[in-house]
Amino acid sequence: MQASTRPRKKTASGRRTAQKRNTSEKRSPSGKRSTSPTFSTEFIGRVGELRLDYVKPDRRTIIAHSYFTTPWKLLPPIYLDDTGAAYTLLVNPSGGLVGGDHLSIDMSLDRDTHVLISSPSANRVYRTESKVSQQHIDITVGPGAILEWVPEHTIPFAGSRFRQILHATLAPGGTLLLWDAVASGRIAREERWAFTDLENEIRITTASGSSLLERYVLDPATDLGCVGLAEEWNYVASFYVVNDAVASDTWSRLESKIASVLDERPGHVLGGVSTPTVPGVAIKLLTQTAPDLTYMLDTLWAIIREELWNLPPVSLRKY
Amino acid sequence: MNTPALLEGLRFIDTFFPSGGYAFSSGLEAAIQGGEVKNSDQLARYVGDLLRGGMSRREAFAVKWANQAGSGGNVSLAAQVDRELDSTKLSRESRMASRQMGRQVIRMAADQLRTKTVLGEYRDAIESEQAPGHLAVCFGLTLGVSGWEPEAAVAAFLYQTAVGFVSAAMRLSPIGQHEGQRILSEWLPLIDRISRETDSDAAMSSWSPIQDIYSMRHGRLEWRLFRS
Repeated sequence: MQASTRPRKKTASGRRTAQKRNTSEKRSPSGKRSTSPTFSTEFIGRVGELRLDYVKPDRRTIIAHSYFTTPWKLLPPIYLDDTGAAYTLLVNPSGGLVGGDHLSIDMSLDRDTHVLISSPSANRVYRTESKVSQQHIDITVGPGAILEWVPEHTIPFAGSRFRQILHATLAPGGTLLLWDAVASGRIAREERWAFTDLENEIRITTASGSSLLERYVLDPATDLGCVGLAEEWNYVASFYVVNDAVASDTWSRLESKIASVLDERPGHVLGGVSTPTVPGVAIKLLTQTAPDLTYMLDTLWAIIREELWNLPPVSLRKY
Repeated sequence: MNTPALLEGLRFIDTFFPSGGYAFSSGLEAAIQGGEVKNSDQLARYVGDLLRGGMSRREAFAVKWANQAGSGGNVSLAAQVDRELDSTKLSRESRMASRQMGRQVIRMAADQLRTKTVLGEYRDAIESEQAPGHLAVCFGLTLGVSGWEPEAAVAAFLYQTAVGFVSAAMRLSPIGQHEGQRILSEWLPLIDRISRETDSDAAMSSWSPIQDIYSMRHGRLEWRLFRS
């Protein structure tokens, strides 16, 4: 059996880096200048690396170390309320991913940090003639830390090829809320499920070593890789909440509340919730419209925040 | 495949085998109550879609690897595939149904095929919670030690699954035996293709969001005939 592999390597310090990186004069995380003997412009702006290390020295979570290469940009965290949670936007001002792009995110949350991640707009993946557009995300959530990962959805254009691999590892008591959504295409142009291929892998591993895995490979031109019955819908989303220290009756209560919300818009939203192999809840849903998708995200997210931490919903101030 | 091997394996495929499969609908009951499946054509599409997107690269993959683990006596390989399969099963009811049926298969197989020590070792691994014991893995392992080739084992597993859906549909909707046989015959070319095209060198994957959702929704139905 072959596990999915990442075209990355480890440095001497054990941290992962993109295998091919541009040789700009930015300092590396270790503070040393790049000493690569070759200078290739081919990968500038196309192989982008973003690294974020969060710590909580007092009541606020801050970024202790950061590093990024084009096209990633980093804005300082925003504090939306008095919880000290650091709200960080994943900013890629290049407009989207084209064939051959390889973006990576390496994020670690130290003990008891609270981080909220989103993106300013949808993740657009453009048509390509051959090369795949890739996004690799590695997340480590420390003991008692909270990561709310709620990026905007991905829009795979007609003829695009996209591969996303997201791996998250949780320490005891760490919490991950992970939202992942994909559109059928540029729906206003009546472009639906017209990408060349789309691969998505999400693996969440807890301290015990057990994991939750969602992996699909769609290549609609083939019989076994076709979209099938889901073609009737426009958005497909997953929402996972994992924490190994939460009591099972809390998950039961949460599951019950979520199930009620999923039944609110029959014909417009089809959703289900259950408890996966790891401690937490897994939600799958389909919607016909973007407003329905946004409504479901906002509503489900609010329920989860209230049930787990008695916190109100947050306004991300994007629109 | 020789005749003794064929007969040995057929016992585990036959609906007479007490795996408990009659108690599970794999979300079909919720799909029928939810209006997704109203007639035999929709049933054919629903299950065909599940076989194609949901099982061709997941359960079929697991059967193939477990089959090879069985023929090679490799318990750790079977357990590895089993755990990977377990992590992909997000619906609690479907996951528990698959594990319950798998345990029935491995217990019976280990008890009756005592010379095949890998079966007893795997049963012990499941009972000591070293492996989850999903049906696809226990089935593949059993047919592997019985001398079945991986392709034949995959085809047999998918056929058994398809029969289970038709059987459940006949109890949940006005579909008769004749219609059931017609639908089953429609799936045979697909089952044949999956059994040949399953690429065990690829990573395990699955795409059946609608069937996954109905499987998740089953536990909240007001009235239920099936356990999943």
